[in-house]
Amino acid sequence: MHASLEQVREQIVDLLPRLRRFARTLARDPHDADDLVQIAVERALARSEQLRPDSRLSSWMFGILRNAWIDEARTRGRRNQIFAPEALGENVGDAASETHTDVLSVQDAMARLPDEQRVAIGLVLVEGLSYKEAAEIMGVPVGTLTSRLARGREALQAMLADTTGAAQ
Amino acid sequence: MKFSEETLMAYADNELDAKTRTAVEEAMATDPEVARRVAQHKALRGKVRLAFDNVTDEPVPQRLIDAARGVPAVRREGNVIPLRRKAPPPRAWPQWASIAASLVVGVIVGQAMLRGSGSDLVTSRGGQLLANSVLSHALSEQLASTQTDQSAVRVGVSFKSKAGTYCRTFTAHESTTLAGLACRDHDDWRVQVLAQTTSTPENNTAYRQAGSALPKSVLQAVDDNISGEPLDAAAESAAREKNWNP
Repeated sequence: MHASLEQVREQIVDLLPRLRRFARTLARDPHDADDLVQIAVERALARSEQLRPDSRLSSWMFGILRNAWIDEARTRGRRNQIFAPEALGENVGDAASETHTDVLSVQDAMARLPDEQRVAIGLVLVEGLSYKEAAEIMGVPVGTLTSRLARGREALQAMLADTTGAAQ
Repeated sequence: MKFSEETLMAYADNELDAKTRTAVEEAMATDPEVARRVAQHKALRGKVRLAFDNVTDEPVPQRLIDAARGVPAVRREGNVIPLRRKAPPPRAWPQWASIAASLVVGVIVGQAMLRGSGSDLVTSRGGQLLANSVLSHALSEQLASTQTDQSAVRVGVSFKSKAGTYCRTFTAHESTTLAGLACRDHDDWRVQVLAQTTSTPENNTAYRQAGSALPKSVLQAVDDNISGEPLDAAAESAAREKNWNP
């Protein structure tokens, strides 16, 4: 049975914190990330009849958000990269604790990954989805997801090598 | 037994079937190198997760909740102010206008501002004017004391409003000079008033910084909204630390 549009709206409201988090793994600038969420929400509501009763709203929304990100990245170029270095530089200067520096460097490293690796890392490592769910959202076989994940991890590991080494 | 990096990664992600998982665990017990690699995958997973985890604790911007609930009902991307419109012929301003030619929001959005690059500064959402990326970024990050003359947007006076939110005046120099007042609303900067002046930055640097350089409509909005004194440099910096949350 179909959920009513009102029910879908409220379920999307409940999902907003996770959608914002996922968007933040994709777009480095928080405002850009929220813009992405807004676009995804509006697109989802415009075609809510496509939501099948047996599919998970969260997966559907993550998929729309991911597609919106890929579209944005292709058509508008990397607006976030214009703003990222300055914002990062300021925060690094303010960071008193080592933990703070760590967190920032992860976000900076994420912003350097190719788009699809970023999506894979965001879905599996940050959102905690299974390989199967993540692969479905990205519309690729599990093997493709696994290799993107592995390459993304390897790149992150290399970029974060210093801080990881110091922490262990 | 040798395990591929992908298998060890899948172990860290809890994606292996029971049999392979057991085999990896046996290898971890006997081979420190396998144990080290697994630990590395787990550590990276935890680290990445931690880096983004606090996002879910942040208050969700009202505009996103409104978008999900459809408030107002009609709001699609088409409603955002178009960035390019047919440019009307350049307009010669009379001399007197350079002193304080100011127009309030409705007029300017309707007529003058949308045609030029000035419209990059604001976005109309649900009948409200919000600062977009460039302006929003400047309002969130720039301090009046440290900004450079090269900044596209200059922040003027910052103060706390009677409603308890932070507000800041700004000027942006493009083909024309736009000045306005924006107040923090959750994660957005809501533009309260926006006016156009013809004073150019080349004329007089001090003129740009002085409060009197702001158009009358902006000054009036400041007077109407301000509670107490404008923020000094330390208070401005402290407010930025709090991300302009009251």
